[in-house]
Amino acid sequence: MSGGRPLWLRAVLRLERAIGEPIEAATRSDAYFDVVAHATRAHARTIGAAEEISRRCLHLLNLPAGTDVRRVREQLARMERRMAALSDEIADLEHGRDAAAG
Amino acid sequence: MAPPLHPAHLIARVNREVERSLLRARNGLRYVAGTHRPKLGATPKDVVWRRGRAQLWRYRRGPAVRYAPPVVIVHSLVSRSYILDLRPGSSMVEYLVNAGLDVFMLDWGVPDELDADNGLATYVDGYLPRALAAVRRETGCRDVTLAGYCLGGLMAALYAAGRDDAAVRNLVLMATPIDFDEMGSMVAALREGRLSADDLIDTTGNVPAEALYSGFYMLAPTTEIAQKATLLENLWNDQFVEGFLAMNQWARDQVPFPGAAFRQTVQVLIRDNALMRGVIPFGRGEVRLADISVPYLNVFAEQDGIVPSAASEPITDLVGSEDATDLRLQSGHVGFVAGRQAAKVARPQIADWIRRHSDEL
Repeated sequence: MSGGRPLWLRAVLRLERAIGEPIEAATRSDAYFDVVAHATRAHARTIGAAEEISRRCLHLLNLPAGTDVRRVREQLARMERRMAALSDEIADLEHGRDAAAG
Repeated sequence: MAPPLHPAHLIARVNREVERSLLRARNGLRYVAGTHRPKLGATPKDVVWRRGRAQLWRYRRGPAVRYAPPVVIVHSLVSRSYILDLRPGSSMVEYLVNAGLDVFMLDWGVPDELDADNGLATYVDGYLPRALAAVRRETGCRDVTLAGYCLGGLMAALYAAGRDDAAVRNLVLMATPIDFDEMGSMVAALREGRLSADDLIDTTGNVPAEALYSGFYMLAPTTEIAQKATLLENLWNDQFVEGFLAMNQWARDQVPFPGAAFRQTVQVLIRDNALMRGVIPFGRGEVRLADISVPYLNVFAEQDGIVPSAASEPITDLVGSEDATDLRLQSGHVGFVAGRQAAKVARPQIADWIRRHSDEL
């Protein structure tokens, strides 16, 4: 398999494995995922705090914040889903009526 | 000792190296400039149904369709479906179309905050039956061969098991995770509670694409060095460069995981490992994999680092099908839908199995 590969490439591939294997062992360890969990929670807390400050500032000026827009979009999405569900129910009813008539 | 090199051979070798160096320089400039990107998902298709972000595509039939029922591929929720139609000559879809099959693809699109409440049932009980009704309208066939890739296979299995009116003639699962205890360290961290679903869900209510990408990337963070070195060596080869760019683009092109579906995946599939118990609380009731009685093909890859074969293999013992076949491939997660192993083994064997379980027209 490696016969056709030049010497430099074989050396790079061997070096990559020599470095990669311990790194992979580390990134698959419990400790790594504990660090990831702490980091993502800290990041979320920081973002949440920053959003809270900017929301208060914007509300002082009677302006909508990004979180307000997000909430409105979520409500719109729920309404859209409800409408889709209703139109499906109507389609199913019509289908049932057609089947009964036909 | 190596035999002395003939002068003519030496000249030919020098010429070849000069030629390759020029090609390397040209392709290197193209690579750096980002021009000459390969055309992905190029098999001609038409949208025949859509709902929300989901679309059902029907691939145009080059040669005549020679087999029924049609094949409907259900793609994963977290990656782009063009992996199954990567580029001409390296496409599962193209192969199936050329094999005389009528091929459809259910693509879920890219979810945003509007889709954060979508659970697995939204897709399996909401979208999938309607997409299959559209297939029936388009083709006039009552049933289908349902194929699913990765999480799409899981959704196809839940659909086939959970509905009396499923009208599935055959079921094909490709790299489908079933035993989540075998899914590796990231899933283990979610199972053991060291990571929670909410740690990964952002303000949009979904797991962002970047989180998924970095999760996969960190499984083997240094392989990029080996890939780049191999690219440098093969930079003279247009075919290799095109294949590399296509695969590289797909690997980075993740889509967000809808939050509700992710929470459900973590609780039901990862923590309870419900699929392995054979009974999955789903939608308004329970789904039993043993209720799958149609002919069934399970395709999995030995070197799959994302869905290890140990996670895919057990489903054959859980389904109720008498006609159940395992196809074990010597490749990775994408190596059996695109790449050399796919061309020589996976595509021909999958197409052959589907044809044998279809009617010739």
